[in-house]
This record gives sequence, structure tokens and C-alpha cells, in this order.
Amino acid sequence: MTPPAARPGPLRRLRHALGAPGGQGAVVVTLLAIVVITAIGNPRFLGIQNILNVLLQISILGIVSVGQTVLLISAGLDLSVGAMLSVSALAGGLVIHATGSTLLGVGVALATALLIGTVNGLLAATGRAHPFIITLGMMTLLQGVAIVISRGSPINGMGKLYDVFGIANLLGVPTPVYLLALALGSVALILRFAPLGRYAFAVGGNEEAARLSGLPIFRIKVALYALNGLLVGVAAIALSGILDSALPAMGTGYELRAVAAAVIGGTPLFGGRGSVWGTLFGVLLLGLVSNSINLLGIGANLQYVVLGAIITAAVMFQRSS
Amino acid sequence: MTLASTILEARGIDKRFPGVVALQDVDLTVGAGEVHGLVGKNGAGKSTLVKILSGALQPDAGSIHLDGRPLPSLTPASAQAAGIATVYQDQQLVPGLNVAENLYLGREPRTPLGAVDHARMQSEAGRVLAALGLQLDPRAPLPRLDMAQRQQLTIAKAVQRQGRVLLLDEPTAALNKTQADFLFTLVRRLVEEGLAVLYISHHLDEVLAIADTVTVLRDGRRVGTVAADALDKAELVSMMVGQQLVEEEARHAPAERIEAVLSATGLRLDPASAPFELAVRAGEVLGITGTLGSGAFRLARVLAGLERPHEGAMTLRKRPYAPTRVRDAVARGVVFLPEDMLREGLVMPMAVAPNVSLTNLRKVAPGGRIRLWRERRATREVTRELAVVPDDVEREVRLLSGGNRRKVLLARALFADAQVLVLEEPTQGVDVEARREIHRLLGALATEGRAIVLATTDLEELVQVCDRILVLRKGALAESFRGADTTPQALLASIVAGAAPAERGAP
Repeated sequence: MTPPAARPGPLRRLRHALGAPGGQGAVVVTLLAIVVITAIGNPRFLGIQNILNVLLQISILGIVSVGQTVLLISAGLDLSVGAMLSVSALAGGLVIHATGSTLLGVGVALATALLIGTVNGLLAATGRAHPFIITLGMMTLLQGVAIVISRGSPINGMGKLYDVFGIANLLGVPTPVYLLALALGSVALILRFAPLGRYAFAVGGNEEAARLSGLPIFRIKVALYALNGLLVGVAAIALSGILDSALPAMGTGYELRAVAAAVIGGTPLFGGRGSVWGTLFGVLLLGLVSNSINLLGIGANLQYVVLGAIITAAVMFQRSS
Repeated sequence: MTLASTILEARGIDKRFPGVVALQDVDLTVGAGEVHGLVGKNGAGKSTLVKILSGALQPDAGSIHLDGRPLPSLTPASAQAAGIATVYQDQQLVPGLNVAENLYLGREPRTPLGAVDHARMQSEAGRVLAALGLQLDPRAPLPRLDMAQRQQLTIAKAVQRQGRVLLLDEPTAALNKTQADFLFTLVRRLVEEGLAVLYISHHLDEVLAIADTVTVLRDGRRVGTVAADALDKAELVSMMVGQQLVEEEARHAPAERIEAVLSATGLRLDPASAPFELAVRAGEVLGITGTLGSGAFRLARVLAGLERPHEGAMTLRKRPYAPTRVRDAVARGVVFLPEDMLREGLVMPMAVAPNVSLTNLRKVAPGGRIRLWRERRATREVTRELAVVPDDVEREVRLLSGGNRRKVLLARALFADAQVLVLEEPTQGVDVEARREIHRLLGALATEGRAIVLATTDLEELVQVCDRILVLRKGALAESFRGADTTPQALLASIVAGAAPAERGAP
């Protein structure tokens, strides 16, 4: 009855193998429109230097958004990622200043984020409240912690971190961009080939069905929030390297932009679907909009208006599945 | 059948979904004062046609006429405005409002100052409901209504808005016998007032009893439209399934092995209930039944590890079995297949393959890496064995028909190498052919040496499929039957002995 499907072309098969989404038409069109308009308005836009600049600017948000995407797929959410980023960067900075060991600082920053992520996971997995509320509370708590441990002032000078993430590049590409690529690639592989990734889709798609199938729901949720925490830790290290300092409010705003990037990229808020490649598109869209606003000389005050309008429009025109 | 003036007419309706022709050149005519039955197997196109008539879907070709006038590009709103009212299984009522408020939602009577005139709304609602013969208190809050009353309210709401055509989709699915009889009276009364009713149901007896005319769909085409009194059930079934022979289902070969796979001693479901023991043998289908609250369904859930008994010890394959979580039961080879698949069973946004492999992903993920190719091949083996249609494990399960979704659940249990399958109402809401197919599969699975525990209130199902049937009353085992030696009547007598008659389907 069903006609034999045409053999998909190599590009489609490649996309399929990587688990890339279809149906991101509206976002791609918006992206192209921004590229064309900005390139006409300012030829520097398509210069290699500006492209690298955009990639560097999106790398931190990209890493955070990848973690958020995993949570959204499992019908979870972590609104504390911004504050989590600040706290772990500060913890790392304090250790670096106290001991002089960058490696120890990196370890502490990662461990802090992993720990906070795990705690969020433990709280969310109890199912006593929606993760929105749980992590909203955690966000406020962590913002307070950030101010307390930093005594409200920046920790300046991150030593070797600045050398590695602030200055260094590999083949001309800034190092944080490699971290983004690594995060994207490994999480894409987890989602497609690891049982944990599959379980994220199952729990997000129908938690009761997953439970009746004998899946360890509690452990799965904790693991996913912990993975998200780990990614935030990576972002915290990279950002403090780029800035050569750790600031009590350095992560503020990342939580909502990360959710926006994932949703623009086609991951619904109710779980069961989604992909990190879509999120990459979302992050690119957000990054390019900011960049083109700068290059086109639109005033900083108007930035939020334009950015907000484009996010809203892109989501509205997205194909609903 | 009187050839009344035509109210609703659909001509040459075509509808395609990616890879599937759902409807092809379908004509349908419903006249004033006519109850028109629409029957067909799952996937025959009934739901698609109803959705098109109610404006929820657009046809690819064809036209819909009301009173001879074409209705171009119907939407749910324009269909309602034109007088086509649809009563779906899940009713469109607002839980926070009372009966009258729901009845007048969106068209509340106003006072001269523009405020809602509650007094007039309540009194008019009372009049409208009484005229339909409905005993509903206009002031009753919605949660106090049972399923039947909610449905009556939905129908009243549809009719009160100058409805010309009423589409009833599986209206008795959640009703007991008395409630269903009342619904039939209501439908007849509406038809006498000149309404046209399209009645969609799996229950052929029901359709034959209430409909004047019956249209049969098969594979998206109209097979025929005939007067209901010119047909009997067997003829209707053969029209629905086509050339395939309609035969009485054969019972599976009786179990040869007699060893108990799963047994329980001193089992008490509740503090108040008497202890009992039971054994489920390899190779048998064991039926469990009883009224709601008899403990039949609770017993099934206890065996599958979803709930814990009040007291008692269970043994699974000669080792103690005391699951505290579903996971423990699954790990021991006991798999539960819930009745409410949409809510509890399947992950709708996922394809067939990952749904089948979910319980036993390890089988295709050696070393913690899922081999997608191997997963597709291994799951396809099982779905082919169960004849899941279409034969495409990469299709999302939400695109499958009800019967095939159930087969996907069965496939999951097989893929997990389950030795004990606990099923709850496995054929509720599926068509005759899918039902027979599932019954055949259950028999075959038992013959292969698995133990099947079947909790159901469907008495014919029990008699047809089960080797042994346990009847529970008041939380304890009351009587036991051999499937081959009993009748639905005998079972019913045992089920209701010393208890009020079952209100099956009541919330």
C-alpha cells in the first residue's frame, strides 16, 4: 500500500545519521535573511575575523544551551544554570587564588557545577514540585551564594585559564569554540547512541510508560541534571578564562537565553523531542542578531527590542510538529 | 428506512497522509430524522472522515454539502456555526463551570448592563435540559457529573446551538448498559425532531439496533451503504473485513506443562479481605475478573509489581518474588501491559523501534552503545511476528491505529523476553479483527510456554481465551472456572453474586 520511499540523498542520510532535525525552515530563513541584510549593510560581517568573533561569542551560550536541551527533551528544566555558572566560576577563581593551581581550580569549578546539577536532579526527581519552581528557587539561592563567597566583588586574574581560553587559538580558531564543538558532538552522540539519551526521550515523551517499562526514572533524571551541571561547569571555566575574572553576576541571563535557543531550535517545552543541532541553530540565530545589530550600528538600547522581536517571530513561524 | 430530505452530504472525499491513503472517493449522505451508522475496522478511515466532517481536517478532494449548499474549507468553528456538532469521546466541557454555565459558554444571556444574567441562564438551562428529558441540575458543578451525564450535557450543548447534524464518535465507550440505553432514547428523541445523526461505533450490535442506515468503510473506501434491518452482524463483519473468512476463534492448545511459574500464598489484598492463594502456570492464559472494587485489577497490578499486597508471599520460578517497584518485576521477566496505552503504555513521539526496545535496550546496546541498525532489525523481527501494520519500525507510534498500538505493547513484552505477561483490558476499544488477532496472539504466546494473566471485564473474552478464570469478590478469590466449561452468563452470575451489579466503566 505504501509506495517505496525514494532512497534519501547523501546529505539527508548524513543528517539522519547525526540525528539532525528537519523542519527548522523558519529559523534557517531568518538566519539567512539576517546574514544577507547585514552583509549588505556592512561588508565586514562576512569577514573571517567577524565569523570567528561570532563563534567565540556564542560558544558559552552554546555549551549551556546544549545541557538545557537535554533537560527539555526529558521534560525537565534548569533555570539555575546562570547562577550555577557564576558560583562555579567563583569557586574555581577562589581556589586558583588561594592555591595558585589552575588545575585544582578547574577541578573545583567542574565539581561545584556537577554537585549543584546533581542536587537539582535529586530535587526534581522527587517529583514534589515542577522543576520550574525548584530551579527558580535554586537560582535565587545560588545568586546569593555567589555574592556571599565573592563578597560582592570580582575575582580578577585567572592565570593560565586566561592564556588558554582568553588568548590562545588553534588554527586561528579561539579555543572556547572547540569546547562548544566537543559539547555538541558528545551530547549528540549520547542522545543517539547511549541508553541514557534514549531514556531522556522516553521519560520526556511519557514518563509513566517509561516507568512501566522498568526504567530507573529517578536515576535517569539525576544523571541528566548532573550532565547539565557538568556542561555549565565547562562553560564557567571557559567564560572566566575569556574574561580573565570571575564575577558574581557573570552568568545572569544565560538560563532564559539557553531555553530560548533550544526552543527556537525546535525542542518543545513539554519534552519527548528535540536535538542539539536545532539548538545550535537557535544559538547561532541569537548570536548573529546581536552581532548584526552591532555592525549595523543599531543603538545598544534598541538591541533588546530587536532581539526580542526576532526570537518571538522565529518561534511563531516554526513548524509545529 | 425513510428517504428523508438530505441534510449532510459528503461527495468524493479523498484524504492522504504521508505514505497512506486514508480515504478514497468516499460518499456519505445523512438525512433529516435518520441515524446513520458508520462502521469499519481500526484504520478503515472512520476517524478521518469524522474529523473532515467536523472541520478538524481538510480533505484533499471532494466536497461537503449542508442542506444542498456546499461548505467550502470547513474549520471546527465554521462547522459548528453551520450546525454540525461533534461529540467526541473526550468531551469538551470546562471542569470549573457548572452545568448551565457550560451549556451557555460563549453565549451567556446578558442583563441590560452587559453582565451575565445568571438567574436567566439557570432557568433557561433547566428548561432546555428538561425538554430533552435530561435530569441534570443546572447548578451542579461539573465534577459531580458522571461520564454519562457529561456526555448528555455535551449533546444538549450541541443541540441547543441549532445543531442540524450530530456526530457521535464511540459514544458508549465509557457507559454502562443503563446509561447506554438512556443515550439511545435520547438519540431517538433528537432524530424524531428532525436531527441527522452520524453514529460511529465498534459495537456492531449497538449500531444495528439504533441506526436506520449503515455505511461500511474498509481501507479508506466505502464498501457499501445498506439499511440496518436488512443486515445481521455476521454480514456486517464480512463487509468490514472483506474476503477474509469470519470464523469462530480457536482456543489455543491447552497447556501441557503444569508447573507454576508465579504463585502466591496467604495473599491478602486489603486488611479486610480474606487470604487466598493462586498459581499461574507456564503455557496457560489465566483470566482474572470481578466488579470494580472486587480486587481483580488490583491483583493483576500486585502480580506485576505496580502495587504491593497487604500481606502474603509470592514465588516466581521457585524463587521468592516481592517486587517493590515495577523495575523489579520487569527484571524478573514479568511485564505489565496497561489498558490506557496513551497515558501509560507508549511513548507517542517515539518511533515503533525504540518503543519496542525500551524495556530491554541492553539487548541491542552491547557495551552501552545502541546499535541502531541492529535495533531496527531485532524489533522488526518481533513486530512482523505480531503482524504490526504498517511494517515500518521507524514510524512514530502515534500514527498507528489502536489495534496496532496494542501490538506494539505486546512486541515490547516479547522483546524483553517476558515470561509472564500481565494484561489489563487488552481489547478495549479495538475493532473485531484486531480483537481476534490479539486473542490469537495471546493463545500463541501461551502455547510457546509463557504465562498470560488477563484481567478483563469482557466476559466473552474470558470464555474465548482463558484456560482458567478466577472471579474475585471483596478483594478475595471467590470462584474458579475452566474456560472451556463455562459461559459468560455463568461468569456474570458468579461476579455479581452477593454484590450489587457491576457499573462497568463508571469513574
